[in-house]
Parts: sequence; C-alpha cells; structure tokens
Amino acid sequence: MTPMLRKGWFDRAVMALLIVLAALWMLPLLWVLALSFKPNELLMVRTDVFLAPPYTLANYADILQTSAVFRWLGNSALVAALQTLGVLVLSSLAGYGFARCEFPGRRWLFPLVLFGLAVPSQSVFIPLHRLFSDWGLQNTYAGLALPGLAAPFGVFLMTQYFKAVPIDLEEAALLDNASRFKTFLRVVLPLTLPAQATLGIFTFLACWNDYLWPLVIATQPEMYTLTRGLASTQTNFAQSEGLGFLMAQAVFAGAPVLMIYLFFQKHLVTAVAGTGRS
Amino acid sequence: MMKRSLWMAALAGAALLAGCGDRAVTAAGPGAKAKTEITLMRFFGSCDAKFGAVNDASQGVGECGIVTAMVNEFNATNPDGIVVKTQVAEWAPYYDQLTARLVAKDIPTVAVMHESALGDYVRRRLIEPLDAELPALGIDTADFTDHARRGVTLNGQIYALPFDTWAWLWHVNTTLMSQAGLMGADGKPKLPHSPDELLAMARQFKQRTGKPYFAWAIVKETAATNRTFQTLIAQQETPLFSEDGKRIDMHQPQVVNALALMQQLYAEGLVKPNLDYGGANQAFLNGEAGVVVVGTWTIDQFLREARKPGSPLKGGYTVVPFPQLYQRPAVFADGHSWALFKGGAATPEQHAAALKLLQFIWKRSAEWARTGHLPVRRSVADSAAFKALPFRQNLTEITRTGTSMPGNVPTQRAIELLIGEDVSNLMVSNKPIAEVQADVEKQVNKALKKVRR
Repeated sequence: MTPMLRKGWFDRAVMALLIVLAALWMLPLLWVLALSFKPNELLMVRTDVFLAPPYTLANYADILQTSAVFRWLGNSALVAALQTLGVLVLSSLAGYGFARCEFPGRRWLFPLVLFGLAVPSQSVFIPLHRLFSDWGLQNTYAGLALPGLAAPFGVFLMTQYFKAVPIDLEEAALLDNASRFKTFLRVVLPLTLPAQATLGIFTFLACWNDYLWPLVIATQPEMYTLTRGLASTQTNFAQSEGLGFLMAQAVFAGAPVLMIYLFFQKHLVTAVAGTGRS
Repeated sequence: MMKRSLWMAALAGAALLAGCGDRAVTAAGPGAKAKTEITLMRFFGSCDAKFGAVNDASQGVGECGIVTAMVNEFNATNPDGIVVKTQVAEWAPYYDQLTARLVAKDIPTVAVMHESALGDYVRRRLIEPLDAELPALGIDTADFTDHARRGVTLNGQIYALPFDTWAWLWHVNTTLMSQAGLMGADGKPKLPHSPDELLAMARQFKQRTGKPYFAWAIVKETAATNRTFQTLIAQQETPLFSEDGKRIDMHQPQVVNALALMQQLYAEGLVKPNLDYGGANQAFLNGEAGVVVVGTWTIDQFLREARKPGSPLKGGYTVVPFPQLYQRPAVFADGHSWALFKGGAATPEQHAAALKLLQFIWKRSAEWARTGHLPVRRSVADSAAFKALPFRQNLTEITRTGTSMPGNVPTQRAIELLIGEDVSNLMVSNKPIAEVQADVEKQVNKALKKVRR
C-alpha cells in the first residue's frame, strides 16, 4: 500500500483540493504559454483557443530577431548577478556586525535599518533618480545595480541567522589567534550558506523582474534590461493587435527565472517555508 | 599587500561599472567621413524583425512598420551623413521616461509627442519653437490642417511639427445594422442626430438582433470613456474649463446631459458590459455588437478582417466620425507631433540634422496617413491618393471638427485619466451623476492647483 493510500480520507481530500487549486493557479500560466504559439491575427478575434491549431513560432522569432534582445538578456544577467553578489556581501557583513559586534549606536542603528523595510521603494524613487543622474550614473550598469544593494531584508535575515550560530565556534577560532574577519570568513560564513542561497535567489529574482527602476535609469536601448527592452518593443495597442507577441515576451522573460528555480528549488522552498535553513 | 590589491580591484571594478554604459556618440576616426548622429525617441513599438531592413516608407505597414521604414529611408538616402538612432520607449510610461531623461540631461534630439502633452513641456521651456525654422525647410505652415495647427500652437508659436490627427470614430457592422433595419437606401448606416434618436436606434438594434448596439472599452480603461464624454460636451458647445485653463466646471446642465446619456445606454444593456480595450475590439470583430467606438488606428485592422472569408465582419464594415448628437459637429481628437528639445542637439550640425529629419517626415506625410490616422497637411487630405484610401473621404471633416482640451490646460493626460476613471465608474458601478460631477471637479481642480504651485 502506498503512503498516500494509507492516509485517511481527510488527508486525501486536502490533497485533492490542493491539486485542484494548484491546477487553477497554473491555468493562466498555461494560457499564456498556449497563446504565445498563436498568430496575432487570430488572437485579435478570439482568445479562448488553447490547444487547437493553428500554431506558430513567429512570435518567438520576432523576439529573437529584435536586434538588441541578447544584449538586454546579458544586461539583465549582469545587473542581477552584480546586485545579488553585492547584497550577499553587504548583508552578510552587516548581519554579522549586528549579531556579534558591539559598537556605538548599534541599539538604534539596527531598528533604523529595519525601518527601511517599511519604506516603499516608490516613495524614494524621484530623489534616488535625481541623485543618480547628478552622479552621472544614468545609463550605466552601476546606476542599474547600486540602488538594489540597500537591502534591509537581507541585513535582517543574515543578522537573525548569525545570531543562531553557536558562539562557541567563534570563540574557539579566536582562541586559536584567528582575526575577527578570518573567523567570520572561514568559520561562521560557511555555516550560513542556506541563508545566503535564500537571500541570493530572492535578490536575483527581484532584480531580474524589476521594471520600474530600469525604466527611468536606463533610457538608451543599449542599456535596457530584458523586462524594459521587451516592453519597449510593444506596439501601442499590443493587448489587441499583438497579444501573441506579448505572451511570447512573458514566456521569454520568465524562462531564465524558471531555470534558476529548477536549479535552486530546494532552497527556495525552504525559504518560503520560513526557516531559511535547509 | 593583499588588502591593497583588493582595494585596487574594487576601485577598478567601480570605475568600469560607472563607465560601462554606451553614453558617447561615436566619433569618426581620422580620415573617415564625419557622420552626424542624432537620436529620435518615440513609441509605436519596435518591429526590427519585419521592417528593420526596409528602406522605403511606402513598404511599411502599420504604425511601427511605416515609422521604422521612414527613418531607415532617411538614414539610407540623406546625402549629409546624418544617422538617426531610434530610441523606442513603450507607450504607457513614455512621458515618465522622457521626463527622467530630461532630468538626467540625456535629452533626445527629436521626440514624438502627443499634442495634448506638448503644453506641459512648452510651459517648462523645454521645447524649441519652430516658427523661424519651418519656412526655411520649405514647410508651409498654411498647409497645416485646422486641428494640426491648434495642436502644435501655444501662445501664438509653433512648437512641433504635426504628424497626424487621430480621433474618435464609430466603426460600424453594416450586416447587423441591416438586420436591425438601420441601413439607409444609400447603403450607409442610419446615424442618430440626437440623444433620443440614439437611444431609440440602440433599442431597435437590440430588439431585432438580440445584441447590444455598442461595444465600448470600459474596464481597465479610462481613455475611451473620457473621449466619448469630451465629445458629447464639445458637441454642446460647452467649455469645460475656465478661460485661463485653471479650473474645471462639472456643474453644468450639459455635463449632466452627457453623463445621463452614457449611464442610460449602459444601464439598458445597449453597451456590451465589462469589456476592456481588446475585448471591445474582439466583440466587434466577432459580430457581437453593432458599433465599436474606438480611434482611427484600427481602420486597417478592421478592414483586413472584413475582407477575410468566414469573418463575421466579412463585407460588412464601415467607419464614420462620431455622429453629431447635439448642436455642433465635434469629435474628440488629438495628434502626434515631433518636437525638438532644448539641449537635445549638442552641436549646430545636430540641430541642422534634426531639422532635415523633420523636413523628410513632412514630405512623407502621405505615407503615415495609411495607418488610419488623418493627415495634418491640407494638400494630403485633399489629394486624390488619400481620398482613394478606404473610408478616408468620410473622415476628412475631422481635420476641421476635431476638438481637444484647450492648450492652456496643463497636465492634460492626468486630467483625462481622472475624468475617465469616474465616468467609467458611472457606467460600470452606476455611480450617481452628482457624485461623479463632484468627484471629478474636486480631483481635477486639485491636480490643476498642484501644477500652478
């Protein structure tokens, strides 16, 4: 008897309900995928077509033939990688500092950092843009990546994680004459890899999907990220005249993220479950 | 030593990052023919795959195809070594991005602008007047249509080269109209001449076909309701705004007339409910409604559908200006135009190049009219070639009757949104007319007051 059959009727009913809900959740995504393979002319007239022919790859071909699309893909990958790396380094250092080091102002500095979680990014948008454009960072990778490095959530997550690491390990290392930084780098940091993975994945996804900041800081096509670049190719009435193309863009932009999810599925699920530990 | 290396690497990385963007205009090497590069910012989408290599404007199809081919043709044929670098931005946040660019001094040399948006930039002294330049380019401003002239003229000066006029139309399914007994002996649909006639015809249509008279984009959509509302107001010869453009007055009987008509049409089921922009067009193409109220830009699309075998629209499509229901013929209209921003041309050569591009666009004006948008040149509107395009003869009156908000009303696009939102609420959720009047007036006046500060 399989474990599923051994379970009671209630568990099976819950499982069935979850499957139905998951299928319902998947339905719009599958619809997007199906429409991306349909001719735009057909979708002007009807969008209730799912599996029935005709099919076309023209929407994907149009994306791939857009001259700058691979540059935008590269820009997105570079900016997301830079931002992820930066957030990991800064959040780990800050988190360790808050968790382990005594320094003047620590008591009020940590809540101040946490306050950043309550400030919507849109509210600092205009001053941030003014600042970056005054610094001459419009249309640069630095301009795209730097604002994301201020990550209060990352600092909070890493602080909590460092606090949970037994202090005895550090004391042993310090007794062996290791410096504070060496202790951090060689002893404590490797123990936080699950949290690093969680933070890294969320940071990468947030940066990859970001549209609003690239919209104003990257104003030359060469510097567009993928989300920004694909959006720029839409015609004024894409929702009516270019629906298949629109859907193909969504799939194209989402595919790399899906691949990342498949690779890091275990860490993501752990992160969402709320523990941050594998 | 290790530390120093790390610092050096970090500094080098930072410098690399900051300098990594493509900021500079390519300089010609020694001996190479000097090229003048200018930038052109626009919406209309990107269609490199289909038209990236087309160098003939007459071979372009649709907004994106024609404008892409037009710029390609200029790049390929101009004898002055001018290279126009197109920078495409999406339609919805276009002005947000334009503003961000102006703030960052990353100013495009030429940019497309809605005429309704022009005033905000002119008042901030960001756009160069063109009065002195246009005659020197051989562009005769007397050839501007009335609507085009109004659209690009502010305080007596011309601030942009008009590109087109687009307006609010009734696209009609003549097969269904025939079933409803609403076709005239001349083969043209019978159109209403008053609100009562409209209601009577719409009821008759519904009774005989079982379908609603209108398909109207109303959900996730504010532009359509605003444009219809403004059309009905303009037809009643009612100024919605004070003379100085600083206040809106919604407490006028004409406003109530317009709102009551729109509400009644929806409440009686004469408008197909809960449609967004795509849904409204789709309903029309599937023969689920007699009239879709949308702009000039869909003419070609609908016409193609009407020529397809098996289409519910097959052989049964026509288009007319929004009918005159009140005292005077008027229809909401706006237009696209090309503006030169101050600081967009770093050198006199770039400035001259931008003007040559405008001259070229002006000469190709007739090509753009193939999109369905109306021409901004009287000579093109009166030409046999334009009139030979399907239905265009029905529509040329809009170049005279087209109406929009007065040019001195600031932040027009935000105001259109505020009006549209509440008029949609009036129809979809039956918001009382008095509340719509009060809310629109309060919000619009607040927005106008903010602008003045």
